[in-house]
Amino acid sequence: MALTHEDVKKIAALARLRFTPEEELRLTGQLAKIVDYIDQLQAFETAEPDLGSRGVEEAADQTAPCLPREKFLANAPASLDGFLLVPEVKGGGDA
Amino acid sequence: MPEMSEGAEIWELSVEEIAAKVRSREISASEILEACLARTARVEPLISAYLEIFEVEARERAAALDRRIAAGEDPGPLAGVPVALKDNLSLDGHALTCGSRILAGYVAPFTATAVERLLAAGAVPLGRNNMDEFAMGSSCENSAYQLTRNPWDLGAVPGGSSGGPAAAVAAGSVPLSFGSDTGGSIRQPAALCGVVGVKPTYGRVSRYGLVAFASSTDQIGPIARTVRDSALALEVIAGADPRDATCATEPVGSYLAGIEQDISGLKVGVIREIDPKALSAAAARNWQQSLDRLTGAGAELVEVSLPSLDAAIAVYYVVATSEASANLARFDGVRYGHRSAKADNLTDLYFDSRSEGFGPEVKRRIMLGTFALSSGYYDAYYGRARGVLEHMRAELATAFETAGVVVTPTTPTAAFRLGEKVDDPLAMYLSDIFTTPASLVGLPTIAVPSGSDNAGDTGLPLSLQIMGRPFAEATVFRVARAFEREVGWSVAPTFREARVAGDH
Repeated sequence: MALTHEDVKKIAALARLRFTPEEELRLTGQLAKIVDYIDQLQAFETAEPDLGSRGVEEAADQTAPCLPREKFLANAPASLDGFLLVPEVKGGGDA
Repeated sequence: MPEMSEGAEIWELSVEEIAAKVRSREISASEILEACLARTARVEPLISAYLEIFEVEARERAAALDRRIAAGEDPGPLAGVPVALKDNLSLDGHALTCGSRILAGYVAPFTATAVERLLAAGAVPLGRNNMDEFAMGSSCENSAYQLTRNPWDLGAVPGGSSGGPAAAVAAGSVPLSFGSDTGGSIRQPAALCGVVGVKPTYGRVSRYGLVAFASSTDQIGPIARTVRDSALALEVIAGADPRDATCATEPVGSYLAGIEQDISGLKVGVIREIDPKALSAAAARNWQQSLDRLTGAGAELVEVSLPSLDAAIAVYYVVATSEASANLARFDGVRYGHRSAKADNLTDLYFDSRSEGFGPEVKRRIMLGTFALSSGYYDAYYGRARGVLEHMRAELATAFETAGVVVTPTTPTAAFRLGEKVDDPLAMYLSDIFTTPASLVGLPTIAVPSGSDNAGDTGLPLSLQIMGRPFAEATVFRVARAFEREVGWSVAPTFREARVAGDH
């Protein structure tokens, strides 16, 4: 498919990324070239996964102590009284 | 034990030699460390492989080991071995950036299982190594912090994403380092730097404490100067871990026990679809020479078929970027990492923190993965890629019905020039053509030096890749060791500064 500038804007919104108009144009060219390359997959044979084969066996869930709160919060950009602090939830999001 | 060459410098000792001498008190862990720190001080200004050197702490740790040895304790199979860690492996209380601005200031609050096992075996972490941001890249040029240079030619890339760990070992700063491999990120830089790199079977090594990139392929593995050292190192870090639910419970066994056995009669699969014209002239000559060397070592070459080889890059860049777009959603400026100062509401905080914190290649991959998973395109891209991947898995399973191992060149060319591919992401991706299939299918794989590009006059290292059946690491190491004996490689980089025109 031919990836367009509009596609890039839409994907950027989904990915929570902002670009300048110049960056958007450059990215459109680069991604279009990569997506064109990926389109060759249509020419290759596919198969269904063998669900009967043994993959990595997942361990059973077990309760265990987790990271102490103060150690976790030491990396937080902002916290208050043992909780993460974030700005107002309402509004924003205009690209 | 391998013989020690007369008059070798302390920093030239192998992992095995260091551990043996430290355990027998012939030399102290502190003397080993000082030799490696001195060597690092000499070579680091040339190659910039480290983001941080833990000088003070390493000295304390080595001194503590020496006290334990003096008290009659045995610290373990890596006693006194200085090691370097890629900057996506957590070590409690140490900065960890993943080569990204978005993690500037982050301090690991716990230690990765693999690193814990190194410490328990007596290893001494010497520092953390540079890498492509979030392990996305094949040249180390995507680090937000610095360029790392190839010790053989300072104008060439060290490969990536584990460029720092590979360059550090090649330059003699440490005999052993650890990286992560998602699509070739241990093997490709090991190849370009002329050292040995191992990507274990998917699930062989716990990923607890490794920053996730693509969870269906990420594996931690060693980089060393010799096959024996890399086998010993993998033995230490491999094995079940209740803290990583995807870590296999398969027993590890000893990789060194049968490593010197010869490979007479072993069937080595050669992939029919490898087009020598897709290799540089020097790599094509070297590839043929490698096959002759395997035959010389007694192996029997058999032709196997991997029709989906040409689809590997496309499959990889859909699957890995899709997973990355999900894994990297956690970097949102809320819990850790960079938070934008300009946002006054939560949605803008996500957009601004991510846009300011991530570099161009990471953004590009998040975009590609988001696209492949988006409504309307999922079936045509992600679904299709998964289908081709399953076909590739079946093709390789068939190949392993006749062959004990399957070989390819590790890379289609020797190290390329710094800056050569930075503006062409697709050209950069294509350097991973041979390493991605084993990642996608989860096979144990090793990159072993196969000689140098002497005919092309650059003298840069080339490498052979050996893939095995799942959990057949012991076989892979045995073939690699037999091949290494035939090649007679020595890691002696020249730190050449002048640009040499030639075949890449």
